[in-house]
Amino acid sequence: MTSSIRVGFIPLIDAAIPIAARECGFAEREGLQIELVRETSWANIRDKLIHGLFDASHMLAPLAVTTSLGIGNAKVPLSVPFGLNANGNCITLAARLYRALEEVLGHAPQGPRQSAQALKRVIERRKANGDPQITFGVVFPFSIHAIIVRHWLHLGGIDPYNDVQFQVVPPPFMVARLSEGDIEGCCVGEPWNSRAVESGAGSIVVFGSEISRCAPDKVLALRNETVADDSESIHRLLRAYQLAARWCQEPANHANLAHMLAQPQYLNVAPKTVLNALSGSLAVNRTEARSASDFLVFQGDGINRPDPRKARWLYAEIASGLRRPLDESQAQAAAAVFRPDVFDAATGNNALPESADPIGLKFGPAFQAGDLQSYVNGLTPASDRRENP
Amino acid sequence: MMDQPSILIIDQNHARAAIIQDGLREAGHANVRWLSETGNLLKQIAEIDPDVIIIDLESPNRDVLEQMFQVSRLVKRPVAMFVDQSDSASIREAMMAGVSAYVVDGLRKDRVKHILDMCVQRFDVFSRLTEELHEAKTALADRKVIERAKGILMEAKSLSEQEAYVLMRKTAMDQKRRLVAVARAIVMAQSMLK
Repeated sequence: MTSSIRVGFIPLIDAAIPIAARECGFAEREGLQIELVRETSWANIRDKLIHGLFDASHMLAPLAVTTSLGIGNAKVPLSVPFGLNANGNCITLAARLYRALEEVLGHAPQGPRQSAQALKRVIERRKANGDPQITFGVVFPFSIHAIIVRHWLHLGGIDPYNDVQFQVVPPPFMVARLSEGDIEGCCVGEPWNSRAVESGAGSIVVFGSEISRCAPDKVLALRNETVADDSESIHRLLRAYQLAARWCQEPANHANLAHMLAQPQYLNVAPKTVLNALSGSLAVNRTEARSASDFLVFQGDGINRPDPRKARWLYAEIASGLRRPLDESQAQAAAAVFRPDVFDAATGNNALPESADPIGLKFGPAFQAGDLQSYVNGLTPASDRRENP
Repeated sequence: MMDQPSILIIDQNHARAAIIQDGLREAGHANVRWLSETGNLLKQIAEIDPDVIIIDLESPNRDVLEQMFQVSRLVKRPVAMFVDQSDSASIREAMMAGVSAYVVDGLRKDRVKHILDMCVQRFDVFSRLTEELHEAKTALADRKVIERAKGILMEAKSLSEQEAYVLMRKTAMDQKRRLVAVARAIVMAQSMLK
């Protein structure tokens, strides 16, 4: 018997798993029909999911947590039984600000520490001159993008709450806002960073993978009652997603995947642009290209099986970003959003050996899921931050 | 009236925004403004400082409004989305119509509900008009293709207009296809044989 499921998505490269699950026939093989519905905003995704217009959705991992806790909107507990990707975002600076960093250093900034420290000097100089603060564009108030920028600023000894401003800018408007100058930096996924580089509006300074190894970016989110009431369909969906994740991660399939995602009904961009992000090889400014094998990851490193410790980390980052004190009952409610039990039941997984470090932060305080307070206490600007192994 | 809420419409579609504005004015809301989605939206909203914001769901700018849930240094008054858990049906209806509303703290829910209902109605009217227009355009285009195909048949087979039409209709019925599909096939074949 074939059942059918309605899945919302935002046209981004990290929607690869739901799209491949449908297009490669992985869902069909499981006896499941996936109907994909393209959306224009994360707020629409959230509202259509919680009001039952979608059965499931591609969602920002922090948004699944805030929706479940009732932060920023009415409280509707969600379930996340599958992680869709890690990394894939960049920090890009507007051309003028990038030149200011080069001036301070006498050369192009190399690596996140050097660029953040150079930014610190530019900010101090601007403060002394009475110039306006730098504004960073991020894709949503609760996003891995905002978290990445804060970590990077901390690395340079910059206070994200007092030294700079943040503003939500939808990805399609990011490049224009960088050129107009009302944002001077941004953190966004591909193809928008490459667009900024191509048009001369900005230069990429940091890959998200340079900040953390496997922080959760997008996830599969459902209403709790959908998971409870229709577990058979959800299990089919998860099995299809698992096959799709394996297929998407395989470099030999990247050319096919790029063509699939590039189609008008999905991302509607040139296949080459998608392929660059999949292969992790990007022009970062007009003269330089860089590549990273973990630029965007769909499988491995505990990405697909949702680890409740990751949800606790997200909660700690969200509370810290809102300057709110931690609340252990909220942390527990957040942890309950990530559902390894559903993943295991669907895939027949017998508890993978858990990695010691579920986030893989490359700088800053060590993350201990059992001691969020120490972690949050360590989230401060410091120019001598320790490097994690 | 002194206590009329100021209403801001954010819509990329000029015609639809005009229809909604008219509707609200007719309902006695004089204080209505409209923004299309360009530039720094948050700054423009801060300047206007509305009590109610109506936004179309096709706009990626909805995510910009989400920032106002937090204490933004730019916006004077806290803003929340008009979501009443007890009223999921009307929210669902609004989402299906393609509209969402945000309100500042302290505004009476029933008054907002009235405004939102008004907007949902107008959104529906607009999509019906758009649909009707689309249907009319399609019908006109179909008729043009059928006329051309008829002309091609009349010339190629020396048929009268009536005979050409009957032949096409019979072919369509025999093949269980729409008349316009048969007409398109004739026009295409002719352009290839030219």
